[in-house]
Amino acid sequence: MSEGILLEISENLQRGKAKVVKELIPQALEAGIDPETILNDGLLAGMNVIGAKFKEGTAYVPEVLVAARAMNQGAAMLKPYLEEAGVTSIGRACIGTVQGDLHDIGKNLVKMMLEGKGIEVIDLGTDVAPETFIQTAIEQDCQLICLSALLTTTMGVMADVVKKAEEAGIRDKVKIMIGGAPVDEAFCELIGADKYTPDAASCADAAKAFLTGNA
Amino acid sequence: MTNRERALNILHFKPVDRMPAVHFGYWPELLTEWAEQGKIPKDLAVGNYDGSEKERELDRIIGWDFNFFRAVGSNNHLWPGFESKPIETLPDGSVRMQTFDGVIERVKPGVTSIPSEDDYLLKDREAFETLYKPRMQYFPERVDLEFYRHFNETRQMDVPVGLHLGSVIGNIRNICTVMGMSYLIYDEDEELFADIVDTYAEMQYKCAEAILETGAKFDFAHYWEDICFKNGPLLSPEVFDELCAKHYKKRNDLCHKYGIDIISLDCDGVTEKLLPTWVENGVNTMFPIEVGVWGDQFEPARKKFGKEVLGVGGMDKTALRIDKAAVDKEIERMKRLSELGGFIPCPDHRLMPGTKYELVQYYAEKIKEIKI
Repeated sequence: MSEGILLEISENLQRGKAKVVKELIPQALEAGIDPETILNDGLLAGMNVIGAKFKEGTAYVPEVLVAARAMNQGAAMLKPYLEEAGVTSIGRACIGTVQGDLHDIGKNLVKMMLEGKGIEVIDLGTDVAPETFIQTAIEQDCQLICLSALLTTTMGVMADVVKKAEEAGIRDKVKIMIGGAPVDEAFCELIGADKYTPDAASCADAAKAFLTGNA
Repeated sequence: MTNRERALNILHFKPVDRMPAVHFGYWPELLTEWAEQGKIPKDLAVGNYDGSEKERELDRIIGWDFNFFRAVGSNNHLWPGFESKPIETLPDGSVRMQTFDGVIERVKPGVTSIPSEDDYLLKDREAFETLYKPRMQYFPERVDLEFYRHFNETRQMDVPVGLHLGSVIGNIRNICTVMGMSYLIYDEDEELFADIVDTYAEMQYKCAEAILETGAKFDFAHYWEDICFKNGPLLSPEVFDELCAKHYKKRNDLCHKYGIDIISLDCDGVTEKLLPTWVENGVNTMFPIEVGVWGDQFEPARKKFGKEVLGVGGMDKTALRIDKAAVDKEIERMKRLSELGGFIPCPDHRLMPGTKYELVQYYAEKIKEIKI
């Protein structure tokens, strides 16, 4: 019974059927499945499948967006139960599109994929100043700073964030991850960031690896 | 030879005396930058748009032959559009604006970037029927028939001029936003999304038909889509094919009937996975083939589809921000691609701030030395 309903949650999440996922979660709870199992073996399992397909090029942005929406809505339903059971996230990240850049689709996608890995995400939005990333990381105790840029004219701001993290003395406490159309591995190395990932799913995998000590 | 003859000959695999120096315009900020550096007259930095007289003057100063993005069309989008108006100013100074498309965007004074999309109106059947469908209907005023009746006598004959066919999916994406489009297709109302695409496409078809029926002659036809990004398409190829293929075919068949055999499509990003639908339904020219920022490529398409695929673009514009050696490297690559035939080198998108004026002049001069 429990395996069947968890599989249904996972499969409907992969198809982006948020309404069905929201109908299945109370059924799973009523069946006595604990909320952490529903989260891990239903919602996150589904996101893992869609994330892997996205990485290998057999799923596309819309599929990821709708799956992530289903996951977020499902996770919101589970939240009070998870809090009651003392289940916590695996870590905290702050994310934003760097100063001068208002693009947010990629950033939103990464945010959803990070949440799909059980990471708490503080979304700073777009056009975010380097100081804001640093201040948030310090005040909110973030282990990850995730930077997005779509413009060749704004990618340089990522280097400023790395520099500000060094100046603030938190460079050894946070991992700085970068992504977006104009950046690559070489740029990541050049500015001294910790990780470049080519897509949202890879970013979520790398973030989880950092937070669980498997990087 | 005129530049029109050069371009058309290349795209028909015929000999030319030299390669034309073709470009795809500029970010306005670059022209301001060049004007401030004293490289170009200040009056050429303002009001300079694709194919304008000011742009042609700038072409002459720099050494370009023409901007490929020269296509005329009709009022084939929402009519009337929604009122563009500010809705609220946020504490950080950014402004939420309702756009012509009915999308709520967040813009920030002083920030040059595509805005964030906050919200949108086209979420359900009722919004479509009441707000959008009436704005997507064909009526004769959409086409300036008088202009097209005299088009053959008044058009420029020294450069290629195209018929702009509009967009099958790109404008719908703009109206619905990427998120809204995704939710409609996969979760909320796939049938509604198909209706939106069909309604819009039918209006655009009728506009193209009305223009062509006037007897106006074009060197090529052109679409704008921008439906791909760094990791490929913004919707699955299967869904794209199901929703859009028939509309490309219908519009392209119309073009073929009127003798237009070059049909180009402007799509940013990595286009590989959508190319089969385009090529099988009559689109035959990739533009602008963004190799630099996004990693798109012409050669694999040529290998896959042979001479059915032509290309305009493919030159990594970021080289024009570096040095002569970087430009020389690109010119060598452009020579190799040009030897394939049916390919015209062109910077792979609009030249952005930081582009060096002297390097652009150098590129425009050197590219003309390619013989094919």
